[in-house]
Amino acid sequence: MKLFVLALAALLPCLAASSDADPGKSLGSPSAPIRIEVFSDFECPACKALHEQILPLVFKDYVIPGKVYLVSREYPLPMHQYSREAANYATAAARLGKYQQVADALFLNQLVWEVNGKVWDAVAHVLTPAEAKKVQLEAKDPSVLSEVQRDVDAGRAAGINQTPTIFVTRGTNRFPVVGAVNYNLLRSLLDGLLK
Amino acid sequence: MVSSSRVFRTVVLVLRVALGAVFAYAAWIKLRQPWELFAMSINDYGVLPDWAVRVVARTLPWAEALIGLALMAGRWLRVSAGAASLLLLVFFGLMVRAYATGMEINCGCFGPGEAISVRTLVRDGGLLAVSLFLTWTSFRGRRRAA
Repeated sequence: MKLFVLALAALLPCLAASSDADPGKSLGSPSAPIRIEVFSDFECPACKALHEQILPLVFKDYVIPGKVYLVSREYPLPMHQYSREAANYATAAARLGKYQQVADALFLNQLVWEVNGKVWDAVAHVLTPAEAKKVQLEAKDPSVLSEVQRDVDAGRAAGINQTPTIFVTRGTNRFPVVGAVNYNLLRSLLDGLLK
Repeated sequence: MVSSSRVFRTVVLVLRVALGAVFAYAAWIKLRQPWELFAMSINDYGVLPDWAVRVVARTLPWAEALIGLALMAGRWLRVSAGAASLLLLVFFGLMVRAYATGMEINCGCFGPGEAISVRTLVRDGGLLAVSLFLTWTSFRGRRRAA
C-alpha cells in the first residue's frame, strides 16, 4: 500500500504538467520542471513580438535543455475581427503537426490579414495542397472549435484580460506574466525558479 | 453630543488605518511573489533603465510595508504620511501619463494582471487625496502643539 501511494505521488507532477495540453501545440518535455502556458491572440501586436522575439530565446535556452515545457493556448480577443478564425486554422494545423509553421506565418503576415481579412492566404502558403485541404476541413470540425473555446474559457477562468498573458508554473506555484515580456527579467524569474 | 473635533479625529484615524492597510496589502502581494513579476510591471512604464528597475522592484515593496505599518500604528506620521503621498504622487503621475498616451500596460499596484483604466485611476487618485489629507493633518497637528 505504501509503495502504491509513493508511486502515485511520484506520478502526480507529470499528470499536472500535461493535464490538458494539446501535444500538437506544445514544445519540450511534459516532465520539465517548469511549464509555461502562453495565452495569445494572432491579431495582437504584443503577441507577435512575444512569438517572434522572446519565445525563440525561451526555446533555445530552456525548452531544448529540458527545463521548460512550452504550451500554446488560444485567446482570441472579441475586438479582433479575424483572430478566432486564425486560432481555428492554427489549432486545425496542430492536428497535422504544423502548428508552429502556421503560427509563424500568421504572426509574420499579421499586418496584412488583419486589414484585408484573408487569413487563409497566410496559412495556405506554408502547407502542401493535401495539408491545406485537411486543415480547411478540420478548422470547421466541432472538436477544433471546442478546443479553441476551451482555451478561451480557461483564460477567462484565470482572469485574463489582456494578451499575451503567460503563466509560469513550477510545482504548485503559478505566476502570471502579463503584456510585453522583458527577456532578461523572464530569464531571471526562470533561473530563480529552477534553483 | 459628539464634538466636531472628535468626529474629525475619528475620520483621520479611520483614513490613516485604511491607507496603512492598503499599503501593507500592496507590499504583501508583491513580496509573496518573485520580484521579477513586479519588475516587469515597472519596466512596462518605460521610464527607468534596467538596473534601476531591478533596484526599485526589490526595495519598493519593503518601503510600502514600512509605510503601511507606520500609518496603521500611528508612528512617525509626518514621515510616513509624507512618504505615502510622495509615492502615490509618482505612481499616479505615471499612470495618468500611461493612460493618456494609450499605453496598454498593467498598473502593478497590487500584483500583475490589472490593466490601467479609469477605475484604477479613480482608485489611486482617491488614495492620493487621502494621503495628502493625512499629510496635512500630521503637519497641522504638529503646528498646533507648537
